[in-house]
Amino acid sequence: MMKAQTDEILRLNNIYKRLLANAAVKLYEGEGRIVGPNEVEVRQIDGTKISYTAKHILIATGSRAQKPNIPGHELAITSDEALSLEDFPKRAIVLGGGYIAVEFASIWRGMGATVDLFFRKELPLRGFDDEMRALVARNLEGRGINLHPQTSLAELIKTDDGIKVISSHGEEFVADVVLFATGRIPNTKRLNLEAVGVELDQAGAVDEYSRTNIPSIWAVGDATNRINLTPVALMEATCFANTVFGGKPTKADYTNVACAVFCIPPLAVVGLSEEEAVEKATGDILVFTSGFNPMKNTISGRQEKTLMKLIVDEKTDKGIAIALKCGATKAQFDSTVGIHPSSAEEFVTMRTVTRRIAYKAKPQTSL
Amino acid sequence: MGRKMLADGELDKAVAAEEATETHYDFDLFVIGAGSGGVRAARFSANNGAKVGICELPFHPISSEEIGGVGGTCVIRGCVPKKILVYGATYGGELEDARNYGWEINENVDFTWKKLLQKKTDEILRLNNIYKRLLANAAVKLYEGEGRIVGPNEVEVRQIDGTKISYTAKHILIATGSRAQKPNIPGHELAITSDEALSLEEFPKRAVVLGGGYIAVEFASIWRGMGGTVDLFFRKELPLRGFDDEMRALVARNLEGRGVNLHPQTSLTQLIKTDDGIKVISSHGEEFMADVVLFATGRNPNTKRLNLEAVGVELDQAGAVKVDEYSRTNIPSIWAVGDATNRINLTPVALMEATCFANTVFGGKPTKADYSNVACAVFCIPPLAVVGLSEEEAVEKATGDILVFTSGFNPMKNTISGRQEKSLMKLIVDEQTDKGIAIALKCGATKAQFDSTVGIHPSSAEEFVTMRTVTRRIAYKAKPKTSL
Repeated sequence: MMKAQTDEILRLNNIYKRLLANAAVKLYEGEGRIVGPNEVEVRQIDGTKISYTAKHILIATGSRAQKPNIPGHELAITSDEALSLEDFPKRAIVLGGGYIAVEFASIWRGMGATVDLFFRKELPLRGFDDEMRALVARNLEGRGINLHPQTSLAELIKTDDGIKVISSHGEEFVADVVLFATGRIPNTKRLNLEAVGVELDQAGAVDEYSRTNIPSIWAVGDATNRINLTPVALMEATCFANTVFGGKPTKADYTNVACAVFCIPPLAVVGLSEEEAVEKATGDILVFTSGFNPMKNTISGRQEKTLMKLIVDEKTDKGIAIALKCGATKAQFDSTVGIHPSSAEEFVTMRTVTRRIAYKAKPQTSL
Repeated sequence: MGRKMLADGELDKAVAAEEATETHYDFDLFVIGAGSGGVRAARFSANNGAKVGICELPFHPISSEEIGGVGGTCVIRGCVPKKILVYGATYGGELEDARNYGWEINENVDFTWKKLLQKKTDEILRLNNIYKRLLANAAVKLYEGEGRIVGPNEVEVRQIDGTKISYTAKHILIATGSRAQKPNIPGHELAITSDEALSLEEFPKRAVVLGGGYIAVEFASIWRGMGGTVDLFFRKELPLRGFDDEMRALVARNLEGRGVNLHPQTSLTQLIKTDDGIKVISSHGEEFMADVVLFATGRNPNTKRLNLEAVGVELDQAGAVKVDEYSRTNIPSIWAVGDATNRINLTPVALMEATCFANTVFGGKPTKADYSNVACAVFCIPPLAVVGLSEEEAVEKATGDILVFTSGFNPMKNTISGRQEKSLMKLIVDEQTDKGIAIALKCGATKAQFDSTVGIHPSSAEEFVTMRTVTRRIAYKAKPKTSL
């Protein structure tokens, strides 16, 4: 399977090179750094450096996985290595509560491994809707993943039988692979930004047009740490190209960006979580939910629930979580005839409010 | 209504007369047929305060003039069992695909039809019971037997033991659904319909399917997915007449890719019983042998035994009950919803018609069902889903140029598994309004709104929000006006 995967990423790598060539973009292999507001220096593989001047410079260096400085951390791997392991990890330990940790836990467990997942909070996927996080956790356990909430790792020790792992609760585990999936940081250290005066490593380091504090230098994607998803990077880049070369200054729109966590079974969300909606509310919030064991599972016997949820601003009837940027109202959802049988139709047949969260005016604080 | 016209002295008499008339009826509503439309209408009317009675034929997976069951076609011998079989059949292909994803299956993978059928039967019985409970919870009185209309406000139910009981009702709702039709081909008694197909004792190793609609195509996919040899015969060049032509062509190509043998523009002329199975002769003179021959050539509304002619309810030429936009027949107290009216024969549409009926008659809020942009899916393998106008319909109805956006690709899953099977996603836009003529939500979404939506990656869905280049433009041609 790894062979098939490697073939595919090589195929796409070639396609991307061809896309650049077809657009008459000159591609250079080497490490780039900025040496002036209009100058980039590329250090090639043989060590020689070539400078190029440009009216505009775009930083799109992405991000990379970080490993926490736990004793024995050199024994742990990141997602990079995880996607290219020589051997299947029969016993895997995953540290982290985000989507990468949860997805790898599902992947290895689905393939038959023993998986222990450690994370800091009570539930994984901090930042997502709490009700959905709880179901994700329940479903991960249902699939046989051992969850260790509010637990970290204290030490990793190499042994003949594998990697001995000691948790923050003093328990011992042995693993073939230990994956640290605790976060990724922007790749900006070697760009020479301080010398050029670019302030990128702070909140708000680029403006709404993706421009840095230096007028000729711009940045998009994970390097700017806004919403770290490919379709968002594509949107930022498209807006940049329209703004700088299309004569049409365009700001990227970060509202209602859908995203999915590909654990098994997966989670997909768009718009505000219930917690965010209540926080931002100016009136009552209505929550509609449909929880069920899907038809496929009633036959297979798998005990695994599906949950679908719609959050509505009562005043406007607008779904706060909508998949289309057209301000769809709950009434429009309801008036849509669904496809049967499908899970999707559950979204257009939510007739009864599951709960109402009454509006509470928050005291004004002056800071 | 007439109250306001009367003088005060007469008001009391009129009210008394009206009240007397009111209590004369056993029910505010009597529903004939407890399927998707009937059960929805009964429950929602009851929720609106109506006293409701409903009758349904005794339960059995295989229907007839005298056999049905609470839940109707959808639950017992339609949508639900069909989807279960499609799931079962899909696993076959997934297991093949799994090899290149690293899964080795060391022994033979066997498929046991009987095991799946038993699971199917358990599930439809479970749902049948749930539907009965739903009616009971709504305080709807359920009677088992065959209902027929004997007057504008009277239904007669013939029970299993033969005794007949009459019920009077202010309103009567016909929700008797439809049933599969078999064409009168010599040997047709050897063929089965979808009812039997969903309850076969033995798996049909060799299946012949006659028909071009979704039922024929779905069963072809089901049996082929389970490893059977399948020959599919249909009248036109492509199956699924009425659907977008480009999509029909890809469905046909994918059915062939999965190993279904297609016989376009071919019918069956004769079926003959032999020791080796059923010998089938096609309209081209070819012979085939089959364990099962499925006729999926159409379904007719169940209206023959309702006694409608005697009561004066008008039917159309196909035998469907004629109704107005409120689902009312020509007789003011008699209404009809669902397949019996042959509008859009889908469960969610029957539910919509029934909900509108309950709002109109008992909710004080006359509501017309909206038939625009009804999504539907054909669960062949791989499936087809559509909403809105086909390209052909859009061009026909156009008042300006039509822009077609398509994305055809071999999905990621297949690049790894090696399966040669394409996906096609298509968006049809009215250039003048920028409105997607095919939209999944009733909010008049424009192409610009689609484009401004950030998709989920990696998924096929995101293809719909990243269609940047027009695939083709169909320029508007004013059609000559004809005066008929």
